[in-house]
Amino acid sequence: MATTTNYGWTTPDDTALVKDGASAIRTLGTSVDTTTKNLNPETTLGDLAYRSSTSNVNTRLGIGGTGTVLTVAAGVPSWATPSSGSMTLISTTTLSGSSTVLSSIPATYNNLVLIIQKPLLSVDGGALRMRINADTGTRYRDQEFGATNITAATFNRTFLQIMDDNSNATTTGLIQIEFTDYTNTTTFKLGQTTGIQNYSVTTTSLNITARVLAYNQISAISSLTFLPDSGTFTSGTVLLYGVK
Amino acid sequence: MTKSNKPQVKIVNCETGEEIVRDANADEIAQIDLDAANAKTRKAEAEAKEAAKVAILDRIGLTADELKTILG
Repeated sequence: MATTTNYGWTTPDDTALVKDGASAIRTLGTSVDTTTKNLNPETTLGDLAYRSSTSNVNTRLGIGGTGTVLTVAAGVPSWATPSSGSMTLISTTTLSGSSTVLSSIPATYNNLVLIIQKPLLSVDGGALRMRINADTGTRYRDQEFGATNITAATFNRTFLQIMDDNSNATTTGLIQIEFTDYTNTTTFKLGQTTGIQNYSVTTTSLNITARVLAYNQISAISSLTFLPDSGTFTSGTVLLYGVK
Repeated sequence: MTKSNKPQVKIVNCETGEEIVRDANADEIAQIDLDAANAKTRKAEAEAKEAAKVAILDRIGLTADELKTILG
């Protein structure tokens, strides 16, 4: 019996008898049906198909979960959770008391990003500060962007200054802080912050801040303490994100 | 239960979500007092510096805005 070039479907020979036509067409139809199904194994909305190790037989890859991306594992396509570029909300904390501590920060990310929404202090003209790993030693330095590069800079503070001269009556302020490579145990710790906050003298004016934050210890960051320079927190929310 | 007059410390465990609010201990209170005293000193120093600047400007008959203009 003759066969087709690509899929090897059986077709009647030129010399085949007419009475065998129905059977031949049925055989051909079954072959076409089987091949078509082998090439299109998808069953569900969003499914994909890829070539298997068997010629003319594809493998079904079911639709991936939300946020997953197509990757390759063991030589075939598969869905996976992105391993980089994603931000995960670790905690949401209301600022209160004389200090608020974020402890047991997971060491499973590359960078930390903190967003502080509407921080309000009890003392007018007060400053918002921060400490790493509850360290109160003179091991910190914060430097405003735009300042001349400093050589032989000293670590001259017992805290990192985030914002100062804040109004204690009005806040529409927003602060972002990022710490890079915070789990590294061989380098100093580096962060940067940008922020806007209502000015204490004229609350309709803004304080705008951009600072480099430096800490001269090599231990990984596992806790962050927020504190006013005096008094207490009236309100404010800290969102802590881990970045991969 | 009477509310404590001591400064309050809030600690949030980022792994478990557990939140504790407790009185500051003796060391923490000492640090808070030290921070507040240092802040007061810094503020006084900044104000004194500003006052000295204004006094110099008065002596030479310039306003702060005029000085800014000169310095470009």
